[in-house]
Amino acid sequence: MKTTIFTFFLSFCASLTFAQIDRSVQPTPGPAPTINIEKPYTFKLDNGLKVMVVENHKLPKVSMTLTIDNSPIVEGDKAGVSSLTGDMLGTGTVEISKDDFNEKVDYLGASIWYGSQSAGANSLSKYFPEILELLADGAINPVFSQEEFDKKKTQLIEGVKSGEKNVAVIQRRVSSALAFGLDHPYGEFISEESINNVQLNDVITFYNTYFKPENAYLVIVGDVDGKATKKLVKEYFSDWKAEKAPQYAYSAPKDVQYSQINFIDMPNAVQSEIEVTNMVDLKMSDPDYHAALIANHILGGSFSSYLNMNLREKHGFTYGARSSLKTNTHNASSFTASTSVRNAVTDSAVVEFFKEIKRIRTEKVSEKDLANAKAKYLGNFVLALENPSTVARYALNIETKDLPKDFYKTYLEKINAVTAQDVQRVANKYFKADNARVVIAGKGSEVASKLEATGIPMLYFDTYAFPVEKPNYEQNVPEGVTVQSVLDSYLNAIGGKDKVAGLNSIQTTYTTSFNGGSLEIIEKRTSDNYAQIINMNGNPMMSVLINDQETIIKQGPNTVPVSPEMINDLQNAVGVFPELKLLSNQSVTLAGIAKVEGKDTYQIDVPGEVITTSYFYDVESGLKLKEQSITSMSGQSQTNEAFLFDYKEFDGIKLPSLKKASIGGMPVENTLSEALINIEFTAEDFK
Amino acid sequence: MRNNLIAIAIFSMLYWSSPAQQIEFEEYDLANGMHVILHQDNTAPVVTTSVMYHVGAKDENPERTGFAHFFEHLLFEGTENIERGEWFNIVSANGGSNNANTTADRTYYYEVFPSNNVELGLWMESERLLQPVINQIGVDTQNEVVKEEKRQRIDNSPYGALSYGIAVQPHLFKKHPYQFSVIGSMEHLDAATLEEFKAFNDKYYVPNNAVLVVAGDIDVPEVKKMINDYFGPIPKGEPVERDFAKEDPITEQITATEYDSNIQIPALALCYRTPAMTERDSYVLNMIATYLSDGKTSKLYKTMVDENKSALQVFAFNRTMEDYSMYNIFALPLGEIPLEQLEKEIDAEITKVQTDLISESDFQKLQNKMENDFVSSNSSMSGIASSLATYYMLYDDTNLINSEIEIYRGISREDIKEVANKYLQKSQRLRLEYLPQPTNN
Repeated sequence: MKTTIFTFFLSFCASLTFAQIDRSVQPTPGPAPTINIEKPYTFKLDNGLKVMVVENHKLPKVSMTLTIDNSPIVEGDKAGVSSLTGDMLGTGTVEISKDDFNEKVDYLGASIWYGSQSAGANSLSKYFPEILELLADGAINPVFSQEEFDKKKTQLIEGVKSGEKNVAVIQRRVSSALAFGLDHPYGEFISEESINNVQLNDVITFYNTYFKPENAYLVIVGDVDGKATKKLVKEYFSDWKAEKAPQYAYSAPKDVQYSQINFIDMPNAVQSEIEVTNMVDLKMSDPDYHAALIANHILGGSFSSYLNMNLREKHGFTYGARSSLKTNTHNASSFTASTSVRNAVTDSAVVEFFKEIKRIRTEKVSEKDLANAKAKYLGNFVLALENPSTVARYALNIETKDLPKDFYKTYLEKINAVTAQDVQRVANKYFKADNARVVIAGKGSEVASKLEATGIPMLYFDTYAFPVEKPNYEQNVPEGVTVQSVLDSYLNAIGGKDKVAGLNSIQTTYTTSFNGGSLEIIEKRTSDNYAQIINMNGNPMMSVLINDQETIIKQGPNTVPVSPEMINDLQNAVGVFPELKLLSNQSVTLAGIAKVEGKDTYQIDVPGEVITTSYFYDVESGLKLKEQSITSMSGQSQTNEAFLFDYKEFDGIKLPSLKKASIGGMPVENTLSEALINIEFTAEDFK
Repeated sequence: MRNNLIAIAIFSMLYWSSPAQQIEFEEYDLANGMHVILHQDNTAPVVTTSVMYHVGAKDENPERTGFAHFFEHLLFEGTENIERGEWFNIVSANGGSNNANTTADRTYYYEVFPSNNVELGLWMESERLLQPVINQIGVDTQNEVVKEEKRQRIDNSPYGALSYGIAVQPHLFKKHPYQFSVIGSMEHLDAATLEEFKAFNDKYYVPNNAVLVVAGDIDVPEVKKMINDYFGPIPKGEPVERDFAKEDPITEQITATEYDSNIQIPALALCYRTPAMTERDSYVLNMIATYLSDGKTSKLYKTMVDENKSALQVFAFNRTMEDYSMYNIFALPLGEIPLEQLEKEIDAEITKVQTDLISESDFQKLQNKMENDFVSSNSSMSGIASSLATYYMLYDDTNLINSEIEIYRGISREDIKEVANKYLQKSQRLRLEYLPQPTNN
């Protein structure tokens, strides 16, 4: 009995303790924390360099950043010169060789970096004087050698090349080029050609023209003493000659007359990169600034924004959708809303983008959304104070962005004063539903026709932002043309249908060089067997073997598992000429007329569960000009294409002597080095 | 002259601060087995609340890979008291930010708030643990989101399968679940039933499998009471048992080829299976990685990128994990340089570390670098919170946040040579050619 009471008492106690909170009610915030924005210790050298020091002794480290606040620079046909200048800074000074310089920095466990008009370093505070001296020396007394120049140039070219197949990289490049124009600093881009135009002298001139102290700011944050730092900065930076870089003004780029899709075809894309964008005239010093921040936050600036809640949470189209509203002191700010979505929903995503942009323009935001957005800005402001460099950034912004001295003091007050009317007004001013570009990089064959169906006017561009003709997916086929007639005229064109049907076997070898090695593609065909072997430098890299018993795919020496659907689909490729079998395949369709290398072709589709193949036959000559296969597995798909050229005759049969394909985006030209007709194969050839 | 010397000496003193920070913390267990770590720092009005769960990709059923990461999405869907879709609204409406991440070993959730919202952060995390709503609509929504994440981070991303380990792990691990990637299989996720998700939650999302960290501008007694209120009543779960298969040693170089349709420049990857993160040898391997490729004068960068101009990029890094680690060296050729040449150049540098002691000056450089990294790793409240949770959960020694640098300081040049010989032999590695996807035509 006693025990029971005791237990009862205990559990009563426990429930008492826990009953003090009601977890069904969201806790309310405690009293607001006090916010204290300190001022950096600021001074100026005679040469114009302005210095800001923020002391923070929490960790024994220090960071320093040098920024030269020049106007943007047009690099023109030498685009890449600024990038190369940045790459070359830090590769040696008048006093110290590159190796010694790097050795010293690394030895101290520090890091130093340079940009074309900037520099920075991080260090333990005990090595601060040494690192500051090295940073200054590298910035003020650089040496530019031909050897380093050649090396950096090669690396930059490789870097540019490596992005040529990256859908997101191409999308951003074309989008900026279209928005600002190719002759604007923000619109031009670096290409292999423009890098090749840059010579060592251009880099030296660029440095001598723009790396000047007049508009320069040095910010030092961390475990340092202000006065001692001033002494050091004077010692190391006073030799920097007082000069000013030329400053340029730019007129504001114009918006498009009507909203439109600007489409870039990227056949390797498994996702479309979408960006809705228009120009805005917005500076941090504008009275609209705070309302614009809030409006963008509600539209696409947070996880809970209109765009993300619609595209990610409601529709599951994307991993994330966002928008940003940039400010700029050179007349070139823009609004962009962007996302990446899978091919199948590209058109729907565009529709939803416009829906949300229109929503924030026409409907007043809810009091709740407005309050949440304000709270978020308040929180961001508080959270940023944790980082000691924030104080320096604020001071730098006031200087370089022409802000009133009390900009950050009044910041929260102004955020709080924004009304729902303000949000709607600035949304109409800055998010231009009727004058927006929707720049999309994606797989045209899967997404273009559906995008056209949205009714938004569509213009096509290549990956360098030049307009191209609209690809013709839907041209009408003349009366009487059928799958049968197209295949017949092909077989007749290559040597006669009867002759082709009478062949027993064929073997072709195409060769090419790739990545410094040789690539060889051997195909062996009979009516029921098929072998394709790809050799790299004589070693098998990949092979597909089909005989009457089995289908084998190998990558190197390893056999890859093949699904029954894939085995089934691969049968469509078997035959001395696969067209012979297609003649009796009921599922083959004539998709229409498509342009291939400027010529009209009939497109024949061979559907499959995993592999869908399309062949393109010249309307005029009947010859096959292109082969394309789309392999789709686990929700992913990949397109392979080959273009066929220069048909030549072998024992009365015409074969393309040149096939142009691509490997990972790099063009590869395969030349026919051998063709053998009616040769004897053994079963081993297909195992 | 003499005066000058003194001046310099004094000058240097000015900049000599204490060698490393001391992060004070307090830790204890709740009755339900949940571990709690508190760190007070009132310099900025900011607080981080975080929970780390001891569940990662390695704990998954091999037929249901991707579960641990899927939960990182699912557990934002809502709770009994937080409506579906409201989680992020509540965080941002209170000026906070939040995120989560998953590795092979653990899953981590955190919020950063202005410090007057510490109770809110604790309430939210306790709701997630006590009573998350796991239903079909949430599963279906997050299933699509996870697929998009995979497309974006891996399938559409150059070198994605390499940087996320998908191209490497199956070759290095044959028995241990580290062979599976964190993102997992989309087919497995499609096939999973709601009951399976609920069972996974019941098994791993229990207080005795979790650590709670509160770091920043807090009042300790007040926060302790809140923790007791919100987390105290959560029932204890079954103990989580772990018994993973041991790998057989790799005795012959494994060669493999993987393809990526998003790249034009091939890559060579040399990957070694190395010991658990807690082993002293693992620390030595971190140092060797720094020696080989961190900084412009590191050995691989200097010879391959700078002098020979054979590589566009080269990295070495020890990806440390709870049961084993992976020591990876990745290199991208410049121009037409064949991968074989990169391999030769990398091997030559490794052989040097195995044959000769590294120089005294390189050794001092390494010590400076390790110290700099150590100091920088705890520069924000959320960084400190994450370190505290990790050191407790995966290293079983929370104080490593202060003492880890001592382990590095205790490593000698001889240790470096010995460990390089022990683990970085050709016969112990994977040699992976990561190539642009060729076309079939």
